[in-house]
Amino acid sequence: MVTLLAPHSADFEIPCYSRIDNEWFCQQYFEDRGGDLVDATVQHIQITVAAIVLGVLIAFPLALIARRWSRLETPLLAVSTGIYTIPSLALFPLLVPFTGLSRTTVVIGLALYALTILVRAILAGLRAVPDDVREAAVGLGYGPARLLFRVELPLALPVIMAGLRVATVSTVALTTVGSLVAYGGLGNLIKDGVTNNFRAELAAAAILCVVLAVLLDVLLVVAQWLLTPWTHRGTSRPRTRSRVDDRVDDEVGAPA
Amino acid sequence: MTVFSDMLDYLLDGANWTGSGGMLALLVQQLLLTVTALVVALVVGLPIALWLGHLGRGGFLAINISNVGRAIPTFALLGLFVIADPWGWTGDTFPGTAELGPYGRAGGATLVALALFALPPIITNAYVAMREVPDDVKEAATGMGMSGWQRFWRVELPLSMPVLTSGVRLALVQVWATATIAALVAGPGLGRVITDGFFRSNYGKGLAGAVVVAAVALVLELLGALLQRLLDPMSGAEAALGPDDDADRPDDSEAGRGTKASVTALKVEEAETFGD
Amino acid sequence: MNLRRPLAAVFTATLLLATGACAGDDLANDDESDSPSDGASSDTGSESSAPPASDGEAVTIASQSFPEAAMVASMYEQLLEAGGYTAEVQLVDARDAYMSTFPGDVDVVPEYVGGIVNFLNTRENGDSAKPFESGDGQQLADDGAQLLDEAGITLLDISEATDTNAFFVTKKYSEDNDVTKLSDLKGKSIKLAAAPDCEGRLDCEGGLSDQYGIDITEVLPLGYASDQTYKAVIDGEVELGETSTTDGTLESQDLVVLEDDMQIQPAQNLVPAVSTEFLTAHPDLADLLNPLMGKLTTENLTELNARVSVNREKAEDVAKSFLTEEGLL
Repeated sequence: MVTLLAPHSADFEIPCYSRIDNEWFCQQYFEDRGGDLVDATVQHIQITVAAIVLGVLIAFPLALIARRWSRLETPLLAVSTGIYTIPSLALFPLLVPFTGLSRTTVVIGLALYALTILVRAILAGLRAVPDDVREAAVGLGYGPARLLFRVELPLALPVIMAGLRVATVSTVALTTVGSLVAYGGLGNLIKDGVTNNFRAELAAAAILCVVLAVLLDVLLVVAQWLLTPWTHRGTSRPRTRSRVDDRVDDEVGAPA
Repeated sequence: MTVFSDMLDYLLDGANWTGSGGMLALLVQQLLLTVTALVVALVVGLPIALWLGHLGRGGFLAINISNVGRAIPTFALLGLFVIADPWGWTGDTFPGTAELGPYGRAGGATLVALALFALPPIITNAYVAMREVPDDVKEAATGMGMSGWQRFWRVELPLSMPVLTSGVRLALVQVWATATIAALVAGPGLGRVITDGFFRSNYGKGLAGAVVVAAVALVLELLGALLQRLLDPMSGAEAALGPDDDADRPDDSEAGRGTKASVTALKVEEAETFGD
Repeated sequence: MNLRRPLAAVFTATLLLATGACAGDDLANDDESDSPSDGASSDTGSESSAPPASDGEAVTIASQSFPEAAMVASMYEQLLEAGGYTAEVQLVDARDAYMSTFPGDVDVVPEYVGGIVNFLNTRENGDSAKPFESGDGQQLADDGAQLLDEAGITLLDISEATDTNAFFVTKKYSEDNDVTKLSDLKGKSIKLAAAPDCEGRLDCEGGLSDQYGIDITEVLPLGYASDQTYKAVIDGEVELGETSTTDGTLESQDLVVLEDDMQIQPAQNLVPAVSTEFLTAHPDLADLLNPLMGKLTTENLTELNARVSVNREKAEDVAKSFLTEEGLL
């Protein structure tokens, strides 16, 4: 138990989060160190969003390739699973000699992990589109690009979004490990809190991390709700009628 | 590249494997932690999730608790347990950094953190597995005069085994890989080899640790596949049922099953929330 | 034609892409002022009263994360920002973590003369290279001049403030075992809690094992002068802990430093290490940082450390008050 009072200016009061009191929840901590928390949260969001966006940008073409050339699917999925087995603890320091101590290192590592989930989700989503819908659209003269963006993707959205949610939440949690290479967002504060037994800091950072993940998850749910209005239009449809049928109605016009 | 030759040197040097701080000891430590955490998670999570799935109720709660669970960074949990002294009367040693038998330093903290980490995939998969048992099969069972309890044990549970074991398999490998994070709090397991290596500019050692973790992950994946085949009462029957459509194309890898189950779970949740 | 869906899609995509782009911007420019542990907010940018020598030019400071190093890094940051730079600080657990990018992505490091010189020595000449052991800072810098040159690193003024490794035990242990200096531990089986890079280092586990003949059975990477290290020693999990000679918190925790009677610690004067290339392009760096080296002493460093680690005043605030008092800001 530390009883030493370090020298300080006359009007300084020992705060409740100091080594002497070390309380878990201390309002003064938020007043004094609020800036730390904000900076760390901002860094965390930047890294997570960049990683997910990068992951999607890579996963989308890969999924399309895997779908088009099914012989490539197995090796593609195998490689991404292989990446998944590399512990994150190792991946970040391994990238440092190449991408330095920077956000880039962490973003690339996280994007690679997210890739695994995203490729599968996009692939599964696109595959869930019934063949007859696709055929109907082609029959109506839809070219491949229009087919993809106006029919297949919207119908695949629920599955893709589900995968995106899982990937995002996992990425928020995994970003904390980036503290190993100085860029872990709230993970930096967690690490400092553990090393220095700084309870207020650890508690605040940990809770903020969970809140952030849940917030992003909710954001994605709202986005999905906005993007797929046919799934919640009206309340009197029988349970057996599929969502796909609704979407088909929407796009093609007449009941199938 | 010298890093790879350094790594090979490290792996092939017997001295690095033996002894109380050697890679073998750490490997066993991490394996014990993984298995114990998994068992604890199964004992805690499985009954609840299976029963809720059987009743068809509480899905929203079960799956959202799972989601929140996935949102908690294991690193934060570990940190909290290591510096916490939640019940004062345990005198600052539980979970803390106390050595817990074969589980090593901060074994208790790591065990609890990993068990909590394993819960979401197990709960999600168990619930979804039960819900995916076809209604007509359940009706047939009831029609045959089975009670709810009998239906659960003799029909639903066996039929849900594939997805269930898939979830356990997924959790196994994920827990194993996540256990390396314990090194960030000077805890047990092979993670220490990785951090030791990188913090002393010994990239060969760090890489060696990573390779061993990845290798064991693959072994666990294969063992899991074997286990799944053994426990699946319908193996062989699938061919008789005819080809599935594209959406059910089997994607047997760990991440594949994980995504599929999570995705199905979220769709089930969506149906229950927005359902018509 | 239903416009809601496309609008929603565009909205979501724009939102995601915008945030992604902002992040991407930071990745490309690395311009933003950001100290994760110091809490400097990004609008301390390049506002200064002194005529800027460089207009918001970016400089990257890397440092070890223990309290003293973080605080000195914050001092560097504030001095450089007052000089017109936009500084970013990166904190890592051990020197090894930033040395692969210094010089290069990292421009300035608040260093310790013995530490940097011996690190370069082992990196160049292997683990069994003859270490530089002088107890005089300037001597060490001269001994390592060639290594520094080859690495592309220039050392600025050497401060009289020093911070070497100190090893401590509990008062009780010291009394019970009649141990007051490190050579008293010769031949004993001891567990040590220290920084993650301790094993093998001549001024840490290496020196204790080889020079003092202590049987170090385990090294726990709990941190340099960190609470976890103190706790491990106090709880009895380990016998010996590593801290700094500028650590003023030991007495109140009933911890005692064991005397380094064989003098295995090389001089560890504080000194700014700068990338030679960066220095040539920005010679004003020396004028910005050297005055600080003149003002730091081991005594005031100890005092400042205690304020950060005990009172938990923000490293940035403590740094600022010191710099202002000494007329450097």
